[in-house]
Amino acid sequence: MKLTIYNGSPRRKKSNSKILTDQFIQGYTKTMDQNSYELHYLAETNKNSEHIEAFQNAENILIIFPLYTDSMPGIVKYFFESLHKIPNENNKKIGFIVQSGFPEVKHSTYVERYLKRFTEKLGADYLGAVIKGGVEGIQARPAWASRKLFHAFYNLGVYFGENNAFNNEIKNNLGKMHQLGRFRINMFRFISALGIADYYWNKQLKDNNAKNKCYDQPYWN
Amino acid sequence: MDSFCFNLITWFWFFHNGEKVILSVFLYFRILFIVQYMNITILNGNPSDHSFLFDKYLDELIIIMKDKSFKTRKVNLRDHKINFCIGCWNCWTKTPGRCVHNDDLQAIYPAMINCNLLIFASPLLAGFPSSLIKKVNDRMVPFVLPYIEIIQKECHHKKRYPEYPKLGLILEKENDTKQEDLDIVKDIYKRLAINFHSELAFFKTTEEKQEEIVNEINNIQRVATT
Repeated sequence: MKLTIYNGSPRRKKSNSKILTDQFIQGYTKTMDQNSYELHYLAETNKNSEHIEAFQNAENILIIFPLYTDSMPGIVKYFFESLHKIPNENNKKIGFIVQSGFPEVKHSTYVERYLKRFTEKLGADYLGAVIKGGVEGIQARPAWASRKLFHAFYNLGVYFGENNAFNNEIKNNLGKMHQLGRFRINMFRFISALGIADYYWNKQLKDNNAKNKCYDQPYWN
Repeated sequence: MDSFCFNLITWFWFFHNGEKVILSVFLYFRILFIVQYMNITILNGNPSDHSFLFDKYLDELIIIMKDKSFKTRKVNLRDHKINFCIGCWNCWTKTPGRCVHNDDLQAIYPAMINCNLLIFASPLLAGFPSSLIKKVNDRMVPFVLPYIEIIQKECHHKKRYPEYPKLGLILEKENDTKQEDLDIVKDIYKRLAINFHSELAFFKTTEEKQEEIVNEINNIQRVATT
């Protein structure tokens, strides 16, 4: 099987989407020798015609992107518009992976409805959308803290390589935290009160000598 | 004599109805205040190679808005150089509140945050507002702080500004648009509104008359001033 993968993160090769994609690809290529893939970065908008051509020639497609304002980033929307203009003749199968910074997956469920409908509009088969929250910060965490997450994406790739579909159990596990429970909300409020919740941002602000400007309102009249 | 009698009657009436007169004067100025209250920014996401009729629809809408004394500013996004968000988060961690891109959106930002109503207007393309609109939506991230709070039992970014405009959406349907498509877009823009501490005040398609949009805006005014 050949898989055409689109990374829709504006951060390109420095993205969390790439880290998850790498894990997925390791699993996908591990199982079957004949499994191959090609990878495109949608942030390279100057290569849009190449991206479209690759889509036209592809049968199995995976699109991964981070959630931006509760939907796909602008570069992904730009790509979708291009796809909607071209005839799609061969029988394509499209799957999606949506990852977000917020821990709960509820934020991503609205765009999931759109992705399903968009795939229908293209006349392709919808393989589903794997949704994972709490991904922001994985590059700052120690490796052991992301081991379970990486393992899940590796196994997702293994199953996809063998069956050309997402494994429902892994998919459901990754997306199990639909909304924050009462305990997590109270915990968050507690660590917020202690100032711990803002540490990740305050550290970066301090490193950039910008902490004293953190509440600036530059566009306010 | 007639004039004297008229003045006498007027003063007599004012003496007994002074409070009402003062109230009338106050209401008169308040009405003026209300009429001038609505400051509207319309972002037109119609790409250059698309619908001429959509632009015509917006132009007619703006004429009606001006008749109602709304202060309206339309920005044709296609005429501006606006980059896509690159996810650098400099607007949170290096130059708080200010986007890293030194492009045309820098001059449009103040019109977006200081208005009372921010309208996203676009033809549906692939079942969603155009990428011109979406790139501006992504670039609204500097309007909030990086810090998180819980709103409606969900994580959201805290306010950066004391007030945010209400949001409106005007869409032109595609040939294959179903009610489901409209519902999906509406729900996603309701989410966008929550993210930016606002609310989606109206959602209209160009199948509806411009007067209906103006009525919706009048309703927003009424709620805002009562």
